[in-house]
Amino acid sequence: MTFSSLRNRITVIFVGLLGLVMALILIAVNRSGEHIISAELERELSAGAKIFERLVKQNQNQLETTAAVLSADFGFREAIATQDQPTILSVLRNHGSRIGARVMMVATLDGNVIADTQHPSAAPRPLPFSDLLGVAETQGRSSGFAPMADGRLYQLVVVPVQAPVRIAWVVMGFPVDDQWTQEFSAMSGLKVSIVRSAAQPVMLASSLPDELRADLVAGFDQMRQFQPQTLSLAGQHYQTLALPLGQHAVVVLQRQVEESEAPFLALQKMLWAILVGGVAVFILGSVWLAQRIARPVSRLAEAAQRLEGGDYAGPIHITSRDEIGQLATGFDRMRERIAEREQRILKLAYADTLTGLPNRTKFLEELARLTPETPAAIAVANLDRFRLINDALGHAVGDRLLIEVSRRLDAMPGRPGLLARLGGDEFAFLLPATDAEGASQFAKRLLTVLREPVLLDGQRLDVDASMGIAFFPTDENNAAILLRRAELAMYTAKKQQRGFALASASDVSQPPEQLSLIGEMRDALARNEFTVFYQPLLDLRSGTVNAVEALIRWQHPERGLVPPIRFIPFAEQTGFIREITPWLVATVMTQAATWRASGLELAPSINISAVDLLNIGLVEMVKHHLASHNMPPEMLCLEITESALMEDPELALEHLSQLAACGVQLAVDDYGAGQASLAYVKTLPVHKLKIDQLFVRSLAESGKDAAIVRSTIALGHALGLQVVAEGVETEADLLWLREAGCDYAQGYWIAKPMPSDQLPNWLSAWKLPAMTEQTTPASGMI
Amino acid sequence: MTGWQSLWLAAGIAGFAPAGASTLEVRLSNSSGQAVEDAAVVLELPSGTPPLRQARAVIQQQDREFMPYLTIVQTGTSVEFPNRDPFKHHIYSFSAAKTFEIKLYAGKPEKPVVFDKPGKVVLGCNIHDWMEAYVLVVDTPYFAKTGSDGHARLDKVPPGEYIMRVWHPRLQADLAVRNITLGQTPISLALQASIPPRVSRPKSPINGDSY
Repeated sequence: MTFSSLRNRITVIFVGLLGLVMALILIAVNRSGEHIISAELERELSAGAKIFERLVKQNQNQLETTAAVLSADFGFREAIATQDQPTILSVLRNHGSRIGARVMMVATLDGNVIADTQHPSAAPRPLPFSDLLGVAETQGRSSGFAPMADGRLYQLVVVPVQAPVRIAWVVMGFPVDDQWTQEFSAMSGLKVSIVRSAAQPVMLASSLPDELRADLVAGFDQMRQFQPQTLSLAGQHYQTLALPLGQHAVVVLQRQVEESEAPFLALQKMLWAILVGGVAVFILGSVWLAQRIARPVSRLAEAAQRLEGGDYAGPIHITSRDEIGQLATGFDRMRERIAEREQRILKLAYADTLTGLPNRTKFLEELARLTPETPAAIAVANLDRFRLINDALGHAVGDRLLIEVSRRLDAMPGRPGLLARLGGDEFAFLLPATDAEGASQFAKRLLTVLREPVLLDGQRLDVDASMGIAFFPTDENNAAILLRRAELAMYTAKKQQRGFALASASDVSQPPEQLSLIGEMRDALARNEFTVFYQPLLDLRSGTVNAVEALIRWQHPERGLVPPIRFIPFAEQTGFIREITPWLVATVMTQAATWRASGLELAPSINISAVDLLNIGLVEMVKHHLASHNMPPEMLCLEITESALMEDPELALEHLSQLAACGVQLAVDDYGAGQASLAYVKTLPVHKLKIDQLFVRSLAESGKDAAIVRSTIALGHALGLQVVAEGVETEADLLWLREAGCDYAQGYWIAKPMPSDQLPNWLSAWKLPAMTEQTTPASGMI
Repeated sequence: MTGWQSLWLAAGIAGFAPAGASTLEVRLSNSSGQAVEDAAVVLELPSGTPPLRQARAVIQQQDREFMPYLTIVQTGTSVEFPNRDPFKHHIYSFSAAKTFEIKLYAGKPEKPVVFDKPGKVVLGCNIHDWMEAYVLVVDTPYFAKTGSDGHARLDKVPPGEYIMRVWHPRLQADLAVRNITLGQTPISLALQASIPPRVSRPKSPINGDSY
């Protein structure tokens, strides 16, 4: 978990820092401890050495003083002058015992001992320390250390006896023994040992215990005088200083290192104890602190996760007033703000910006929430002629109009359910639990509301609407499809100027698979699933076929051959036709060129939709293809339906004029079934009229149709146009048409639309049976 | 023998003088030519008893010193030791020629000390360690000591043969022993010897102490 690592990190860092600091302290203390100890030892040794020297001097002074007192004694001088040996000895002893001197002698001026308290009855013999005597003779007195006959070392002084001139020498001395060294050791604090320097060093006296003496003697040879060094005696370390003592001996002063180290070891132990204790306390403390920091942080992290998941509820309970508390407070406020903002955004997402009504997204959402237990009707309303108003008066007015309309709709009394603006000039209603009757009533009410003119800037604007109604779940389960059906119903109502229409009753019924087809069209084009069939046009005067109408077919991999009625309208509505048509034009021209190359002169006719007609690039596209296929423009015929023309008559006229100017042939398709006025048709630069099959199919039976056809033929001819009859299904129709003077015929009786490869065979096999009766001049094209 | 001697006879050794007095002059200097004071020049008769001159000598103690440093007396002479200091002295000698002491006296001791044996006597004071003086006891009345100029003059010496001894207190042995014949003409001798200088031993200060 991230937080245990934060807690651990804090703990580890704190404890690590403490450990580091303590380690540094320990190291520093150790180092300086070592320095201090060695400096201490050095100091103690040198101080001890100085004390030793001073004590030796003191001893010497004491000896000299006593000897001086003795030598000034009148009785003593008299005894010496009179060679009174017993008196001399007794005085010597008396004075010597006062200070504990063991050596007390009197010697003549030429160095013979005439009295010696240690050997009272010995005969005169030379003084055993001639060097001391020599110094005394030149300097008046002398002192030093010298060995005696017993092999022991003595601290001696030689002092003259004056009566009044020098008549004798007095020698006094202390033995250098263990007691002597122990007195010194006690006063100087050092271990004192006296070693006679010889080939075989001998320990003369020492304050050391016996077990260490042998080691000292053993290590004697390594000692350098005046230089402190470390010596190991029986496993313990002694800082050692060796100094000369007279000419014959060396005094070894020692201080036990472990003794000097002892206080520092104690300090070290204490530091370790503090370190360990401190670390333990620190660990506990930092764990606690880390916990205190990490827990609120982890709570905040949890809250952040909840926030991430969209849960804005639940304030964070962190009450401390420190930085984390401030963070928590800020976080909480942020949470509230985010929740607020999200609400606002949702509202915006679901609201139409212009009118404030719910938008398409919201409407679809509401639709999707319907269940079979909650049936409802949806109504889609579209304002008629809105585009005209928008174009005529400008977008600002158009917007205001929309706002006014939405206000009216919203204010409709007794309006149940949801009102939404789907976009543009399209509005939708969700009417829960409303049947067809209720929906119709509603629709009538709405249309009445909208028929009231809108007053804007003093201008009266007549607004009218068309509505389409669909029912959930009876018409459709799927929300999107249901909406589409309502929309389509609306389009139907608009087309038929009926006001409103029910989806179930509208002509355009959309089986479910229809909608998927629409999606598949794009892929179909890419996968070359579209193909072109050709239906021959029979020239009635010559009895030959010299033209074909190109009809698009869709070879669906699953559904088989899909007729254009099933997908072309949607292509037109979605604008996809703009991609189909160029393909169609190219394919057809290629085919025509192929036929021409093999000797077949067939002029192709291609259907152009309203969308294509109003497409600005139409003319260029056609020209381009004509040029690239090297086709004479007169061979190409473009068919346009009446209703396509009526979508935007002016623009249509413009494009047609341009096309005609190129030499392309133009035909009005499904003539009579659309809304084109004669006045309009008169202006069109077309070359052909194609009579809708409606009229041709029942030609033989219906007199009215026959009359219409006959008059249409006359009209066309009068206008200088050729007339084509579509939907010839019987021979009788064909004969009638020929007899009526129709120029071209097209229909199942002549030939069904067929693939291009079948056409040449058909052409060669086909004969016009009834044409044998009439001979036609010229035209001999087969 | 300790000490050096070089003997140098000046011209002027004349013939015999008729009966009368002879004069001997000795001048003593040390190795650096400086005059040596307090040297004893003694003329001893080779044989026979010399005439006795009754003489008295005085060695006084003044300013915590013996005065004079050297006194030459004929055997049997009495020497007085007046104490001119305001405190007492304790004179002693352990010399074989005369061992005596006069303990802690002031003024003049009752009796003078008779030096009745020839020889060298060293005097000291028991209280004042630095005080030293010498008495040379000789068997002849003919003696003199060199003064600060290093001259010693022996007058009215009957001509004849003598043994001349020259001795200094700071030397152990005589520095010159010579047979000498004195006649009418005075004899001057110049002697040189290496005499150690007089070491003045430290005196304790007079103030604060009253001993």
